[in-house]
Amino acid sequence: MLTVPEVHLAPLLPVLIVLAGAVASTVLGFHLPRRALTFINLAMLVLSGISMGYLWNSGEAAFGGALQADNAAILLGLTILLGSAMTLLVSLDTAFRARVSFPEFDAMLMYAVTGTLLIAFSGDLITMLIGLEIMSLSGYVLATMQDSRQAEESGLKYFLLGAAGSAVLIYGIAFVYGATGSLNYAGIAAKTAGLTPGNLGVLVGGALLLLAGFAFKVALAPFHQWTPDVYSGAPTSVSLFLSTVVKVAAFAGMLRVFGGALQNAPGWAPVLQILIAVTLIVGNAASLFQTNFKRMLAYSAVAHTGFLAMTLLGTPGMGGAAMAYYLLVYTLMTAAAFAIVAALQRSEKGMEISDLRGLYYRHPAYAVALAACLASLAGLPPFAGFFGKYLAFQAALQGGYVWLAVLAALASVAALVYYLRPAMLMFMPDRTPAREYAHGERPATTFTVALGVIGVTVLGILPNLWYGWVANPGIWGALAGR
Amino acid sequence: MIHLMIFLPLLGSLLLLATPRRWREEVAGFISALTLGLGLLIWRGGGAELFSVNWVPALGVTYSVALDGVSLTLALVTALMSFVAVLYTARRIENPGTMLSLVLAMETGLLGIFAARDLVLFYVFFEDALLPALLMLAIYGKPNRMRALVKFAAYTLFGSLLMLLSIIGVKYYGGSPTFALADLVQHPVKGAAQTWLYLGFLAAMAVKLPLWPLHAWLPDFHEQNHDSGVPDVMGTLYKVGGYGLFQFGLPLFPDASTELRPILMGLAAFTALYAAWIAFRQTDWKRLIAYAGLSHMGFVALGVFSLNETATIGAMYLLAFQNVYTGALFLAVGMLQERVGSINTRVGGVMTQAGALGGMTMALWFASIAVPGLAGFVGEFSVLLGAYQVQPWLAFIAGLSTIAAAAYALTAFQTTFWQGRPLGGVRVADLRHTEWLVLGLPLVVALFFGVYSAPALNLIQPAVRGVLATLGGS
Repeated sequence: MLTVPEVHLAPLLPVLIVLAGAVASTVLGFHLPRRALTFINLAMLVLSGISMGYLWNSGEAAFGGALQADNAAILLGLTILLGSAMTLLVSLDTAFRARVSFPEFDAMLMYAVTGTLLIAFSGDLITMLIGLEIMSLSGYVLATMQDSRQAEESGLKYFLLGAAGSAVLIYGIAFVYGATGSLNYAGIAAKTAGLTPGNLGVLVGGALLLLAGFAFKVALAPFHQWTPDVYSGAPTSVSLFLSTVVKVAAFAGMLRVFGGALQNAPGWAPVLQILIAVTLIVGNAASLFQTNFKRMLAYSAVAHTGFLAMTLLGTPGMGGAAMAYYLLVYTLMTAAAFAIVAALQRSEKGMEISDLRGLYYRHPAYAVALAACLASLAGLPPFAGFFGKYLAFQAALQGGYVWLAVLAALASVAALVYYLRPAMLMFMPDRTPAREYAHGERPATTFTVALGVIGVTVLGILPNLWYGWVANPGIWGALAGR
Repeated sequence: MIHLMIFLPLLGSLLLLATPRRWREEVAGFISALTLGLGLLIWRGGGAELFSVNWVPALGVTYSVALDGVSLTLALVTALMSFVAVLYTARRIENPGTMLSLVLAMETGLLGIFAARDLVLFYVFFEDALLPALLMLAIYGKPNRMRALVKFAAYTLFGSLLMLLSIIGVKYYGGSPTFALADLVQHPVKGAAQTWLYLGFLAAMAVKLPLWPLHAWLPDFHEQNHDSGVPDVMGTLYKVGGYGLFQFGLPLFPDASTELRPILMGLAAFTALYAAWIAFRQTDWKRLIAYAGLSHMGFVALGVFSLNETATIGAMYLLAFQNVYTGALFLAVGMLQERVGSINTRVGGVMTQAGALGGMTMALWFASIAVPGLAGFVGEFSVLLGAYQVQPWLAFIAGLSTIAAAAYALTAFQTTFWQGRPLGGVRVADLRHTEWLVLGLPLVVALFFGVYSAPALNLIQPAVRGVLATLGGS
């Protein structure tokens, strides 16, 4: 007699709700217009968020700890949901122009969100890998979906390099399993203490392969090469999604693996600091020379990867909190900036930086909003980016990486130059005709932009609103499920 | 009251956006006058006590503000000059709403800098004052502003990011629970770490002072700003490096300050002389005043770095009143530009038709080149007197710059206001309406405090003694 295994469904709820949205989009797409589906999906995201609130402090787990809804997962999951909702809102206005306005877009997006949530909720390497693959495969499709040469190229590039990254990651998982005999984060963390030298070597190898695999996914240099091409080639709403939600999820995975399972494993931190240093230099230096605004944002995403990764070098209590704060702020400001590009661009290539000249006199509200986003990205107070950067510096200093913090400060100067140039150009008077899409301002996009700008301003003046939640070190001490 | 004084200008700045166009000037003037009035009330009440609440408890960041001693003096000067700037903006700039908004927003940042008694809060205000300055340059600047803007931003932020690292380091290595100055002083950092952290802190302050070799942004910033000189006034007020060193640098890094004293004093003396020398060859009024200001800032730095009581008092005195007369000079240049359409120093003959403008300008220049009886003299003399007791030769070198100052100021004044009037020159109007007030108010202040320095010294002296006492006295 076949017995149905007992599955504890409650911790799965946030993921299942989003998955239901994805399935609904797939099935109902034959009957309903796309906008209706988008509204359904937005509702699903909200429901998922509510279910996360319900799970707060419950610490429930399913599948024997392979999936756990601890507070860390919920905090990262909420950030993911917010980014996804902002993507959907922007796509309401721009999907038609971007020629991706069909139900499959929504379905793929929701599948990708399902994957990202799985990563955040993962309790072992296999769950994490499944989530990562769902996210990546949907991402490849999303990047290619627009019927254009550029999108095809970017999607193919994303696919080939992403597949290579996944392969490396899987190889790393195998190594770690070989060394510790466990796939569970808690199991790995428990085993890392008393390993024989031979096993330790395998573990270090596995950790480094995992690091390389993740470096592909979050775009740490020198594994970042696909990023600018993909972000600038994909439709802007997809770029928004890839550079926020996907990155948040990949960092959530990194936090789980390196802050939890491999926290005490030797070898990866020294390598990571080199990767961060290279990322900071390459990302910031390359952004400095971009003439296309969308491409500049892509490189700036690479540069921010460097800052975000610095938080991994701190203790999990400090670093995890820093990362969770930074990720939310990063999502808000990047999404708002991309939303403005999506609203104002004439074609999916984005805008040239020189086109921004005089924007303040044509679209005053958008110009002020974009300036606030750029100031926040540059880390200027009173915007929340400042505290994000501050926390990243603090994490690196507490980990003893003084030179890295100094390098990051120097790299930030380059960042300030490339963020401030467009920001200031917008306020310079201009007599040439407008170069924006004529019908650029739509309610949903405007709402998204307002959400992002108000978010970074409020979180900048009152950081405690979010940091107070994430700062509890207990949340991050239990990353590995102990 | 102190919170109202800090944030009232910012509120006013936001209010202006919602104000009908024709009332904006009045509203801005009212707000800035009210801020100044609040400042005077605080002064009458003997300063504002330290007020401290947690801001970000998880990070140990507090909202600690106080206005007393040096900071109150500087805050009052800031409020006064912002009021003067608002007066002139309203008269000079067409449709001045945006500019007034920026001036008021910047005033909040500046007042916050002086009031902050928490390092992170200080940093936040420090950067907040920067944004309006950048926007003024971007919106109202001259054709080459982009270069000046990038230079200004890059220098400033380069310094302040290193300062941010130092701030984090001071708390972390010292083991203080919060970033409040009082707590940090209780938990000092010892040894070599202190020197490194001081250098990081110094990077920001040296840019702001500015100190050679980090001064290159200054002349471009002033040259490319709007002709009216209003942004320049605010830019002058933004030179808070001397104050930051005094209020935070000395108490937090006492050993490092003593250790690096000769080198820093040398740099300061060199800055003073070098800037005066360069100023001599300028043909653009704004660049000339910028370099003159740089030279004064060399004096301020010399005074602070000398760790001598007389010199430090002089430095703070100079810092406060340099803002007044240099700011007014920038506005005078703006008036000159409005009349003759040029800010070249070789215009010639303006005095014959605009006697009051010429006279006022000259009196302000006298204050600037430290003619006794005007505010500049008290400051510069005290700095030299004090520095002489520490490093006689460096004081001598810096002292040379007062001679150079007389040379560059009087030469430029002579070629602009006297000499022959060029043939076919336009008729130049004299001072009108509020212009009298715009130049007269700062001049009265400079005169008053040049003759009767007690009110300001009563504020500055105890504060300086308090800070220097923590160093073990020298």
